[in-house]
Formats: sequence, structure tokens, C-alpha cells
Amino acid sequence: MPPLDHILIVNAVLFAIGAMGVLTRRNAVLILLSVELMLNAVSLNMVAFAVYGHVDFGNITGIIFAFFIIVIAAAEVALALGIVVRTFRNRATANVDEVNLLKW
Amino acid sequence: MEDGVTATQVVFWILAVVMLISAIGVVTAGNIVYAALFFIASLAGVAGIYLILTVEFIALVQLLIYGSAVVILILFALMLTRARERPQALFGRSRPLGIAASLGLLAALIGGIVATTWATPESSSAIQPVGLQAIGDAIFTLWIVPFIIVGVLLSIALDGAIMLASPDEDDN
Repeated sequence: MPPLDHILIVNAVLFAIGAMGVLTRRNAVLILLSVELMLNAVSLNMVAFAVYGHVDFGNITGIIFAFFIIVIAAAEVALALGIVVRTFRNRATANVDEVNLLKW
Repeated sequence: MEDGVTATQVVFWILAVVMLISAIGVVTAGNIVYAALFFIASLAGVAGIYLILTVEFIALVQLLIYGSAVVILILFALMLTRARERPQALFGRSRPLGIAASLGLLAALIGGIVATTWATPESSSAIQPVGLQAIGDAIFTLWIVPFIIVGVLLSIALDGAIMLASPDEDDN
């Protein structure tokens, strides 16, 4: 097994890459992909803690959390893509910086 | 564990490098379809790391939900929202700021991880795999109420997504 902190560092890099995608992309679907990368990093972290700790601490809550994160991410992707498709139909763009109706 | 680098660790690092390179591909690819394909490779890398962590259940869920359902949804959304007439810039104006912010975040996270002394479990030499049965027991006893709620949430969210994306009766 790789040591716990190696897994944590890999996940931190994955999380930062996802954050970079969220902050630099302007297509809403690509931003959503980057958010999914960040969610993956977090649930991998939780699974790592659960696997390394479950003998000593006697529970596997991290694994259950990863499961719930994946399910809720599926719901989130469906809703967000519905919104993107609707926005594209109404305003003919999927770029978040062109959807500025509420911008002051 | 003490005999240097084990085979599991080698496989872990190969998977991690593949996963991170594909993740960089997701956020830097100049073509949105390539970005989605890199995303699939990245998800497969994460599923492989779940397998290394001996959690086959989550690896299967990852491949079934993310690797198939979510990726297909995203590919359809990319197809439906592609601007036909002109090629689109894929990066916003604040790109340097975003790169700097994410590098700062990375530095903070890694600094925190390195500075923390992680309590190594006594039994770290023989990490016990978490069996499928233990996960099922936990979900269907302790976590049964959240499980039901998340099922209801999922069906409501999917209905809402259909309602959002379907054309109105009066607009055409």
C-alpha cells in the first residue's frame, strides 16, 4: 500500500487541477467537468482515510460518504446540464461570461 | 511495507501519473471533445486507485455512474450546446489569475499535508480490506435514512433536469 500522505498529495494535485479548470474555462460544461475532478479528489481522500483508519477506529464512514458524493454528483450533473441546455436555447451561448443578465 | 517500494506502490504511482496527466488534459485541451475524453481517462485512473485501496465497491460505482452515465450526459450536452457558426475561445480573460490562484491553493494544501504528522495506524503493515458486506451492512443499517433521502433526491433531480431541458408548450 502507498503511504497515506502520498495519496493525499496526489489528491491535492488533482483538486488544484480541478480548481484551475473552474477558474480558467469559460464553457459551462467544461467548468462542470473540472468540478467533477475536484469531487473525485475529495471522495478519493475520504476513501483513503477510511481504509487506513477502519481497523483502528472501527468505522468505514468515509467509504459511505464517497458513495453518497458519487450519487449526489450524478444528480448535480443532470441538473446543471439541464440548466446549460436551457440557457443555450434561450441565449445561444454556453459561455458563463456571456450569461451576464444578473451582472451589475 | 518496510522493504522499500512494493509492486502496489509502483502501480499506484503509474495510475496517479496517468490520472494527473489526463486531468491536466481536461483543463487545458483546446478541443472540448478531447477534454471529455481526457476526463474518461482520469476517471479510470481514480477507479484504479480505488481498487488499489481495496474498495472494489466504490471502484465499480465510479465506473458505472461516472464512467458511463455522467460521461454520456456530458457528451450529449457538449453536442447540444456547440456554437455552430464561430470557433469559441475556451479560456476566460482571467486565466493568469486563475492559474495563480490554483497554484497558491496547491501550495497551501501540500504545505498542510507535509506539515501534519499523520497518525500511522498500529496495523498499517497489514491494512485490512473493507469487505463488500461491511459496506452493505453500514448503508442498510446506520445510513438507511440518508440512503432513502438520497434516492428521493436523485429521482427529483432527474425529473427536474428533464423538465428544465424539455421545450415549453408555448415556445417555438
